[in-house]
Amino acid sequence: MSQVEFVNITIDGTTVQVPAGEMVIESARRVGIEIPHFCYHPRLTMEAGANCRMCLVEVSMPRKNPDGTLALARMPKPQTSCSLPAAEGMVIETETPMIVEARKGMLEFLLINHPLDCPICDRGGECPLQNNTMHYGAATTRFVEEKRHPPKAYPLSKYVIFDRERCIHCARCTRFASDISGDAQLDFLKRGADMEVSSFRDTEFTSLYSGNVIEVCPVGALLSRPYRFTARPWDLSTQKSICTECSNGCNIKLDHRAGKLLRVNARLNEEVNEEWTCDQGKFGMDYASHEKRLRRPLIRDGAVFREVSWDEALTHVATALSEAGPAAAFLGGARSSNEDLFVLRRLFQEVLGSQNMDHRLGPAYPSAADVRAALGSQSPTPIAAYERMTTIIVFGCDLAVELPILYLRVRKAAVRRGAKVIECQPSSYRERPHANKVTDFAHSSIWYEPGQETAIAEALAHVMTGGRDPGASDGASDAAASLPNAVAEANVEFGSAIPRLDDGPIAIIIGRDVWSRSLSVPATLKAAADKMGTPCVINTYACSVNEQGARELGILPDGSVQASAPGLNADQILHGLKDGTVKALWVSGVDIASQFHDPELVTQSLEQAPFVVVTALDLNRTATMADVVLPLASVAEYDGTYTSMERRVQRFHQAFDAGVDVREEWRIAANVGMRLGVDMPYASWRDIFGAIATSERAFAECTPDNLGDGGRLLADRNNEDSR
Amino acid sequence: MAEKLVLFEHRHLPGVETAAVYETVGGYEGLRRALQMTPAGVIEEIKVSGLQGRGGAGFPTWIKWNGMLGNPPGDRYVVCNADEGEPGTFKDRELMLRFPHMIVEGMAIAGHATGSATGYIYIRGEFTEPADAIRRAVDEAYERGYLGEGIRTDGSRFDIHVHLGAGSYECGEETALMSSLMGERGQPRAKPPHAPLPVVAGLWRRPTLINNVETYACAPHILRRGGAWYASMGTERAKGTKIFSVSGHVARPGNYEIELGTPLLELLDMAGGVTGGALKAIIPGGSSVPILPAAKCTDVRLDYDGCRAAGTMLGSGGCMVFNETTDIVKLMWVTARFYAHESCGKCTPCREGTRWMAKIMDRIVQGKGRPEDPDLLVSVCNNIDGRSYCPLGDAAAWPIRASVLQYRDEYEHWVRHKTSPVGEHSVPKVA
Ligand code: SF4
Ligand code: SF4
Ligand code: FES
Repeated sequence: MSQVEFVNITIDGTTVQVPAGEMVIESARRVGIEIPHFCYHPRLTMEAGANCRMCLVEVSMPRKNPDGTLALARMPKPQTSCSLPAAEGMVIETETPMIVEARKGMLEFLLINHPLDCPICDRGGECPLQNNTMHYGAATTRFVEEKRHPPKAYPLSKYVIFDRERCIHCARCTRFASDISGDAQLDFLKRGADMEVSSFRDTEFTSLYSGNVIEVCPVGALLSRPYRFTARPWDLSTQKSICTECSNGCNIKLDHRAGKLLRVNARLNEEVNEEWTCDQGKFGMDYASHEKRLRRPLIRDGAVFREVSWDEALTHVATALSEAGPAAAFLGGARSSNEDLFVLRRLFQEVLGSQNMDHRLGPAYPSAADVRAALGSQSPTPIAAYERMTTIIVFGCDLAVELPILYLRVRKAAVRRGAKVIECQPSSYRERPHANKVTDFAHSSIWYEPGQETAIAEALAHVMTGGRDPGASDGASDAAASLPNAVAEANVEFGSAIPRLDDGPIAIIIGRDVWSRSLSVPATLKAAADKMGTPCVINTYACSVNEQGARELGILPDGSVQASAPGLNADQILHGLKDGTVKALWVSGVDIASQFHDPELVTQSLEQAPFVVVTALDLNRTATMADVVLPLASVAEYDGTYTSMERRVQRFHQAFDAGVDVREEWRIAANVGMRLGVDMPYASWRDIFGAIATSERAFAECTPDNLGDGGRLLADRNNEDSR
Repeated sequence: MAEKLVLFEHRHLPGVETAAVYETVGGYEGLRRALQMTPAGVIEEIKVSGLQGRGGAGFPTWIKWNGMLGNPPGDRYVVCNADEGEPGTFKDRELMLRFPHMIVEGMAIAGHATGSATGYIYIRGEFTEPADAIRRAVDEAYERGYLGEGIRTDGSRFDIHVHLGAGSYECGEETALMSSLMGERGQPRAKPPHAPLPVVAGLWRRPTLINNVETYACAPHILRRGGAWYASMGTERAKGTKIFSVSGHVARPGNYEIELGTPLLELLDMAGGVTGGALKAIIPGGSSVPILPAAKCTDVRLDYDGCRAAGTMLGSGGCMVFNETTDIVKLMWVTARFYAHESCGKCTPCREGTRWMAKIMDRIVQGKGRPEDPDLLVSVCNNIDGRSYCPLGDAAAWPIRASVLQYRDEYEHWVRHKTSPVGEHSVPKVA
């Protein structure tokens, strides 16, 4: 590891040690000086930056006199502190008369063409331009001509609207598009004062990360369509939460007012999402305030549902479950909190004596033992660790869709850290209409047709274990020449030669479509990985928000150490409902009628099932077929924890009260348990989390108080005894 | 003093744009000599010559060339800036049309001196004829072995690619030129102290030497006749000759090659003197440099120090001469509109300030000026000067500010009387 070199620089009279090359604007923060700025953003590259000229400072450098003594020489021009690397002996002045004047001038320039929209602008109240003008600007303008009037309110995409009049041309959005999401769908057109941000002649802005530009824009030029005109920032309350749209566990802020979720913004977590969100997360979480939210428990009355009290509903559920006893079953749970799952599991195992539970909805149901045998007990590669990988293999995974924030990290690893990315994808992915494809930064792309997965995995394994073309020099192999014949005959198209794979740590990401069908691909690659000299982790990441939690907590037919025999898996449970061996079903928070791999089977089973209770936010397809429907609290309405795909346990906090009669699933399960005579005396998520930490080895180091704002990775499985 | 012809020595020789004729007057001897020398030897010769960059800044050429040598091995590039866009400047155009081989030869010498195998010549988009001349010369140079591997015996090679710009003044700024050459927007890139110089990290972050057409054209002569010979011309602190493009109210507008240090008024004489009235002012170095009223022209010597002492700059050598019918306000109005049109838009002060200045000038020449406008112009210039991302902002501010300071009475006349102080038939015309 290279040693960080430190230099001494003096800022407004205070001398401070900073890493050499740190931007002076950051060094100033260390001594409590905030230099006003617009275009600077620490995560965006400098090349198109340093353009707003707001952060000017005066700079002096030590220079040797002829007699060897040092004297300070002031640079003739002020310099932009956002792009100025700190150097030994540098002296910075941030408040000289010239700088004060320069800032005033810069604000005047920015404002001459800026509409005075503040009273109707979403940004008003949290606008850097407004704030800096108040602090550093002049009170009046000397500009008397007509301002520029480009079109206002131009819709760029279904989420983002662009008010071109307000743009100050800071290039943050365009740099986000080129540096971070990499789709480069926003760029400047024209030049000079006519320069404008554009999605290339106003084509649709199809980036899957478009919402981030709203947050990086320092003015109200890029706006959220759903949020527009709905609130003023000072009327909003904010709560820390976790995005529930996928398993990445992005840290977010819920902005709400009067029991309504109005806006989702990213919350900084360097280990997870840095400060980004995907559009799914930013704009998809409207269910909390959805008008179709269930308000009361429902009980089926012939062909219709009747609204009932919680007491009546729970009595009904308790009765049906106790009659079913060990013939009760439980499906879903990948969207429930750790606490929900823990209490539900207790209800089924301890109260009903049933191990019939499965959170998996895909076609493959290997036993826990099979999985361990094939994949060992490696912990998945943490998101931030991708930046340290030499090689990243993406297998059958449209990463930006399946694990959007991991996509950004993998892209960063490739583009900024030089990781080699190899993708093996179904050829249909090439036609996908979105703008964020691994192909854009992949070293090699290998396209296959459905059914060729295993052959491709074998070929890859062959290369991994050194079976290269012996003629190839320097490790780079002509992959086609080195492949087993079967694959060569399958006429697989190799984008380019596969590079050597054994020159550093490898992470392999296998898509849900592949691992949820069969273990053969992960198992093949794992076997090859074990023969390699370099660390290589095979990741079959969970996809739903708490699917990893369900794995950790053993929401599986053979997930229990206590149970003498394994219970039924999802397919068996559904068949059991048809043939009467399963007598009651609890569906937890998931619309299995839409999401199960065999929806037909779900419909048939639910029609014939003696008893089905569904917990849900709204009347989804599964719920319409239930006997009892119980309205759930949304993530914005209660407290708890999720375990993300990288095994990070993170807190979400209640933001508001929904104003409807909904409950947490753990409270429902505990209540049912109580009615069946088993006391589960939990008053809050903390009590349950404490119990989880006591009973679950993986959670042993966690307490309700040590999760912090950024969450905590579960103990490495390699250090655990196998369960 | 008269012209001192070095680059232009064979200006009137028919066919000098062809390799065959160029060779009869010593063409490519400089390259042959250079190839027998070490890179360090070639750079030493340039150092002895005292050659300074002819694009405007006057930076010692050898230091740039030498800067290329310190880099670790790998690709490096030689770029010729032929994006001659400075108003009043047309010397590179003639060099390319008449002496394309001199430029090719100069670049090939630089390639050898800096260990570069690839050269790019970035030609202003409107210069289709000069570009054709360069292309023909490049083809001929390949045929005769001056490019490619050809006459080189050490296995090295030097190739030249010809690239036409798309019509942007800003792309004459060397970092913007690099952006454009790499297919990006023609906007400038960071320089010291924010980022390394192009000679360390230029095109594709590889070491890149960028010089002006005229600078490269000097190299063959220096290599053929020796640095000391070249240094014997000019002044102590500005060696050699320089081409000035003289335009405006003169009898014989055109390019004149003179020793550095020649008095400005002598150059004026060479061009046949002022026509159509008495001399009013001269802009000696292209539209970006401050204007010199006639009274201040008398003692000015045309070298870097001489111009600076007079409060202006040598710049690109675009010497524009104005007689007494010239309306300075309208002249600056044209200038302001030029910079507003050419600002790349990257940085706030230039993007907004140049357009604002143009608007102020618009209203003044439309008879709608306000008493506070001259001061406002100076203030806007002050808010741009030294604070823009690249020198274009400064270049837009200096001439306007200088004109207000020197010719305030003319601005006030416009504002008060809503007409030109020099009358109906003043030049330039208001469109
Ligand atoms: S739209 Fe916003 S982020 Fe983009 S350039 Fe304009 S001001 Fe900057
Ligand atoms: S000064 Fe600024 S806007 Fe003007 S050309 Fe340079 S970078 Fe572009
Ligand atoms: S913040 Fe430094 S120039 Fe914009």
